[in-house]
Amino acid sequence: MAVPSTGDSDEAAVAVGWQRWALLAAVMAVFGGLYLRIFTAPPPAGFASPKAAAPAMSGAGPFYRSQFLPNSTEQSVHSATAAEISGGRLRAFWYGGSREGASDVAIYTSVFSPLERMWGPERVLVTRESAQRHLQRYVRKLGNPAVGRDRSGRLWLFFVSVSVGGWAGSAINLMISEDEGETWTAPRRLVTSPFFNISTLVRGSPLQFADGTIGLPVYHEMAGKFGELLRLDGEGHAIRKTRLSWGQSSLQPVIVPRSETEAVGFMRYAGDPPNRILMVRTSDAGAHWSAPVKIELPNPNAAIGSVLLADGSLLLVFNNAPENREDLSLAISKDFGNTWRIAHRFEGDPGSPRAQVSEYSYPWIMQDQAADIHVLYTWGRSRIKHVQFNPAWLEEKR
Amino acid sequence: MISANVVFGLFGCGLLSFAAVATVFRLRRFSAGARVAAVLAAAAALFVPFGDLSVAAYVRGVTGDPSISTLVLAGAACIAQLTGRRPVGQRDLRALVWLVAAAAVFLYPFALGLTPFDPYALGYGSVGLVTALLLVTLAAWYARLNLIVLVVIAAALAYLAGAYESRNLWDYLIDPLVSMYALVWLLAGLRGRIGLPLARRVPPSVS
Repeated sequence: MAVPSTGDSDEAAVAVGWQRWALLAAVMAVFGGLYLRIFTAPPPAGFASPKAAAPAMSGAGPFYRSQFLPNSTEQSVHSATAAEISGGRLRAFWYGGSREGASDVAIYTSVFSPLERMWGPERVLVTRESAQRHLQRYVRKLGNPAVGRDRSGRLWLFFVSVSVGGWAGSAINLMISEDEGETWTAPRRLVTSPFFNISTLVRGSPLQFADGTIGLPVYHEMAGKFGELLRLDGEGHAIRKTRLSWGQSSLQPVIVPRSETEAVGFMRYAGDPPNRILMVRTSDAGAHWSAPVKIELPNPNAAIGSVLLADGSLLLVFNNAPENREDLSLAISKDFGNTWRIAHRFEGDPGSPRAQVSEYSYPWIMQDQAADIHVLYTWGRSRIKHVQFNPAWLEEKR
Repeated sequence: MISANVVFGLFGCGLLSFAAVATVFRLRRFSAGARVAAVLAAAAALFVPFGDLSVAAYVRGVTGDPSISTLVLAGAACIAQLTGRRPVGQRDLRALVWLVAAAAVFLYPFALGLTPFDPYALGYGSVGLVTALLLVTLAAWYARLNLIVLVVIAAALAYLAGAYESRNLWDYLIDPLVSMYALVWLLAGLRGRIGLPLARRVPPSVS
């Protein structure tokens, strides 16, 4: 602060002194606010109890069905996700365009009717242009979507967008729907990283906490590759973050809670051989995670899907090969991930129909309220395939 | 309807862009009228959308929302170019860039996943981080490094008000741009190429 050179020096000194103490008072006031924010924040809650699926209908015969989701544009499609909506329907989302990473890639949606056993026509939900208009930021391309529900039944759709560079330059955006996906809020950017808010991606489905906050498994892909669990408040702001792993070899976490405190997470492995799925565990509702360990199942640097069934069985959909994505299989664990048994091969059987691009990847899996199990995955980069089976069919595979 | 978060973010990116252009073209060389015209032209060029987006929105796509440190330094650069007077003294500036550089060295390597420790997570509400920041701020106040004190107050107020989309205190304090500026400033100063000429040229106005 300038010191006066002539006259009125006492008065000026008093003024300077007053300003100095006012500055200190301002410091104390704002730090009071910061401490108040911390001490009044509610303590983190545990995982919400998973809704129990209806018991499988007694006498219902085993069934296994598969069909392709619509793709009227015959574009490249990838990375499907879905949520159960009213009437036992499924609403799926995926991205499609002339190729992965192209500027014409858009997020698509379609609804599956269990009565008609058919998917409705797909419609474009988000384009690069609409995203950048709402986000008020330049957007170069769109990527993975992931959808889930909050406790009040709203659908939360997260999707990746990139402004600069490749996927390492990604950020996550959020849209919310209160009418089962018919209409949506404008997309909003999640802030998750200190590097120009880039290099955070999403793939795994969000999960609920008992206090209404949302857990979002995400991963970082610039310099290092590692998984994180974000906790979002009711408006979708990131308010907490926990690291699932670190280093340069783990990504695309999926997290499966078993109780209010216990959960298991699986991650794609991008490190040195042996190429196997990574697993982490928490026993304090995600506040701390065990160091990642490789389980017995292989992983060719590819995404994984997992779900806990109402009967306690843990299912895992994965590429059952260490080097390629030509075999997509289902594994089952009766001891929450300690031991596994291959129950079924979705793709890769000799003689089964093959896609032009022999890649069956990015599986997503859930159990609906009627206890049926649904799997979506990328089929040859040209279609999204839907497989539906029931516990009776699975029982025959045990 | 554009949210207040978006408006604040666009304003920050516009200010940053104008500061960069004004500094590169050394706007203070021109007449007062030309400078006023430049401000008006820059405001139109930065904030009026052509197509879907304004220039500020394109910058925002690359930089994200600038931290308060960046905004204060960008604002000081704008004032320097528009008035010919530097509002920030060398002593204050040196202290701020040292602090920003130290924070960046603490934050960024670990945020890249070097270890299980994630300092960025502390920004969501950590007594330790806030206490450390309080001690640094009190030390700065005691040493009459008012620029640091003002930056911390402004950043904390913006954080408490939720001015940006982020709910992480770090995002209001520093960003990669001001961190790179600080590191370059310090490295150049150590080599005596920027620090000494600046120190001679600029009379200290903040003590």
